[in-house]
Amino acid sequence: MSRWAFLSRRAPRPSPTAVHRALGKGPFRRGPSVEEKARDESPDPVGVDVVRSPQWSRRYRALGGLALASLFLAGLLWLYRPEDALGPGRTVRTVNPKMGVHTRLTDEVEPWKIRRTMAMVREMGAPWIVEYFPWAYYEPSPGRYLWDHPDLVIQAAVREGLTVIARLGMVPEWARPQGTSELYLDPERYEEFGRFAAAFARRYRGQVNYVILWNEPNLSLEWGWRPVDPGEYTAMLRVVYPMLKEANPEVQVLAGALAPTLAPPGSEWGMNDLDYLQGMYDAGAAPYFDLLAVHVYGWRFGPDEPPDPQVVNFRRVELLREVMERNGDRDKEVAITEAGWNDHPRWTRAVRPGERIRYTLRAYEIARTEWPWVRSLSMWVFRFPWDQKSYQDFYTFVDTDFEPKPIYLEVQRYARGEDIDGAWPEQP
Amino acid sequence: MARTALRPGVLLLVGLTLALGLLGALPWLRLGSDPVWGRIQAGGRWRVGMDPSFPPFEFLDASGQMVGLDVDLAQALGQAWGVETELVAIGFDSLVDAVEAHRVDAALSGLTFDPRRTRDVRHSIPYFDAGIRLAVAADSPIQALSEIADGCVAVEWGSGGDAVARRLLRQSETPPFQVQAFPSPEAALEALATGVCVGVLMDTVSLRLAQAEGAPIRLLDPPLESEPYVVVLPLEARTLQAEVDRLLERFGQDGTLARLEARWFGAFVDGLSGD
Repeated sequence: MSRWAFLSRRAPRPSPTAVHRALGKGPFRRGPSVEEKARDESPDPVGVDVVRSPQWSRRYRALGGLALASLFLAGLLWLYRPEDALGPGRTVRTVNPKMGVHTRLTDEVEPWKIRRTMAMVREMGAPWIVEYFPWAYYEPSPGRYLWDHPDLVIQAAVREGLTVIARLGMVPEWARPQGTSELYLDPERYEEFGRFAAAFARRYRGQVNYVILWNEPNLSLEWGWRPVDPGEYTAMLRVVYPMLKEANPEVQVLAGALAPTLAPPGSEWGMNDLDYLQGMYDAGAAPYFDLLAVHVYGWRFGPDEPPDPQVVNFRRVELLREVMERNGDRDKEVAITEAGWNDHPRWTRAVRPGERIRYTLRAYEIARTEWPWVRSLSMWVFRFPWDQKSYQDFYTFVDTDFEPKPIYLEVQRYARGEDIDGAWPEQP
Repeated sequence: MARTALRPGVLLLVGLTLALGLLGALPWLRLGSDPVWGRIQAGGRWRVGMDPSFPPFEFLDASGQMVGLDVDLAQALGQAWGVETELVAIGFDSLVDAVEAHRVDAALSGLTFDPRRTRDVRHSIPYFDAGIRLAVAADSPIQALSEIADGCVAVEWGSGGDAVARRLLRQSETPPFQVQAFPSPEAALEALATGVCVGVLMDTVSLRLAQAEGAPIRLLDPPLESEPYVVVLPLEARTLQAEVDRLLERFGQDGTLARLEARWFGAFVDGLSGD
C-alpha cells in the first residue's frame, strides 16, 4: 500500500464517473481496468466503506505531491535562512577599540567560513575589519549588481559587532579598454565607478560607513600599469566623493591607502608615498576625503624604530601625518588599513614569530596611547581562503582551516586585558 | 555458409578492438614523448631552479657558488642520468612559476607539496620531512610525547612548535605536559640542555642544525606535524617525474639521502638510537 494511502481513505463522495459505472450507464460505459478492479476488491484497512474513484485518487495524490513540495520548499528556506543562521547580534569586548584586522573574504564562497571568520575576529577582540569589495565581481554588466556575496560578508560582520571599512576597486571588463589590467581605471569611467560606489553606499547605509576609494594608487601595478599620478587620483576622488555623499551622507570616504615605498623620483614602478600625498594636496584633494587610509609595514624594524623618510617602518605613518598637518588637514584622522610583520622562515623581510607577536601587540598599544589621530589599526591579514604557499601565509592570524596561530591567541589575551608585559617570555 | 556470414562481423570486432586498444594506449604513447625528458636527454643537461638563501639546503659559499643538500641532490640525480646539472638562482616565491613557465626543468629548493598546484605542476615523492618534532636530551629515556608527565616542553614563542603544543593542550582534557615559551629557538634548546625542560617541540630543520652544531639531542619519530620537501616538475614531465621518484626511492634505500643529510646536518640521532 502506498504510504500516502491515507490521503484517499477519507474520500466521502463518489465521483460521477463511479456512479455512472455503478449504474452501468453514462458516457463512459466501459468496464473497470485491472488496476481499478484490484483496488475496488481489496478490503479497506480501516473498515470504512469507501467508494474509490480514480479521479479523486489522482486529485489527492496531486494534493499530496503539493504538500510534499511545500514541505521541501520550507526545508530549503529553513536551511538557507540568512538572518537566523547568524544568530543574535554580538559586541566586541576589547581593551583597545582601535584594534582591527584586514579580512580576505573576496574569494571565500562558503557562508559558514565567512561567518566563522567574523566570529573569530570578534573573539580575538578586534572591533574593526577592512574587506575588499571588487567592483568587477559585483557589477558584471552595466547596472546589473550582484549583491549576494557582499550581503553575506556585511551581514556577518555587523552581526558580530564589527565595523566594516570597505575597500572598493577592480574594474570590470566592460569598463576598461581591451587588453588593460583589471586595475586600469580610465578617467572616462570615473562616473561608472562612482555609480557603483554610490550603489554600494546606498545599499549598506547604516551598516558600512567607511569606504576606501582604490588601493595603493602610488604603485604602477595598482594603477593599471600606468605611470602613477596623484593628480589623476585626485580627479577620481573629485568625481566619486560627491556621488558617495549623495547616496549616503553618513559615509566616511577614505583616500590614499598608499603603499609605503622608497621609489626614487621618476621610477616606473611607483612614487614615494610621502611625495604622492603631497601631490594629492597640491592637486586639491583635501575636500574630497574624510580620512586618510595608510599602509604601514614594519619589515624587520620594531614598532618603536623612529620614522625616517629613507626607511620603510611602522612609524612612517607619523611622516604622512606631518604632510597632512603641513597642508592644514590636522582635523582629519588616519585609518591604518594594512600593517604588520611577517614570520616566514625564509623571507628576507621577515622577523622571528615571537618578534612578530611582540611587535604586533606593541603596535596596537602605540595606536591606542600615542596616536590620538589614528581611528583604527588593521593588521594584514586575518586568514586566506586557501594557502598562498608563499611568504603571505606568514602574515595570517589563523590557518585556512581556522586553527588559531599563537599570534591570534596572544592578541586575544591582550584584548582581554591580560598582562601584556608578561606576554613575551624572557631568556631562561 | 556460416563462416562467410561471420567474416564481416569478426572483422568489425577486430577493428573495434584495435581502435579501442590504440585509444587506451594514448596516455602511454604520450608518456614516451615527455618533451622535458626528451630535451634533457637530447641536450645532456637539466636545469634546476633554487633560491640559495636557505642553508643548509641551498646557499652561497665564500666563492659565491651554490652549495647545500639540495644542490648535491640535484647533482646526484643528474649524474644518475648521465647529464650535466645546471643550477639557476630564482627567488623563492617565483620557483614554482618558473617551472610552470618552463624556465627550468625542476625546482629543488625545500619546496613543500601544494595540493592546489597539482593541475599546474607535478610533485615528486618526498626527500626530507621538515615537520615539527619532539626532541629530548640524547641520554633521556623518553621515547614519546606521552611519556612527558611532569616536565615541561620548550617551544619558541609563536613558532610552529608553539602552535602544535597549544593545539595538543587544547585537544586534551588533562594537559599531558607543561609548555614553556622562549623568545628564540636557541633559548628553547638551551632550556633543554640545562634541564629546565625535558623536551623541545621544533621544526626538523632547526633541530638538525642544532645537532650539526653539537647539541646533545635526540629527535623522536614520527614528526607531530609533517612538512615533506619535494621536487617540483613541469606538468607534462611524466617520464621525468617517474625517473625522479625512482631515484629518490633508490637513494632512500641505498643510503644516499642519509649520507647527504649527514654531510649537511651531521649524523641523525633519532628515537631508536638509544635502544
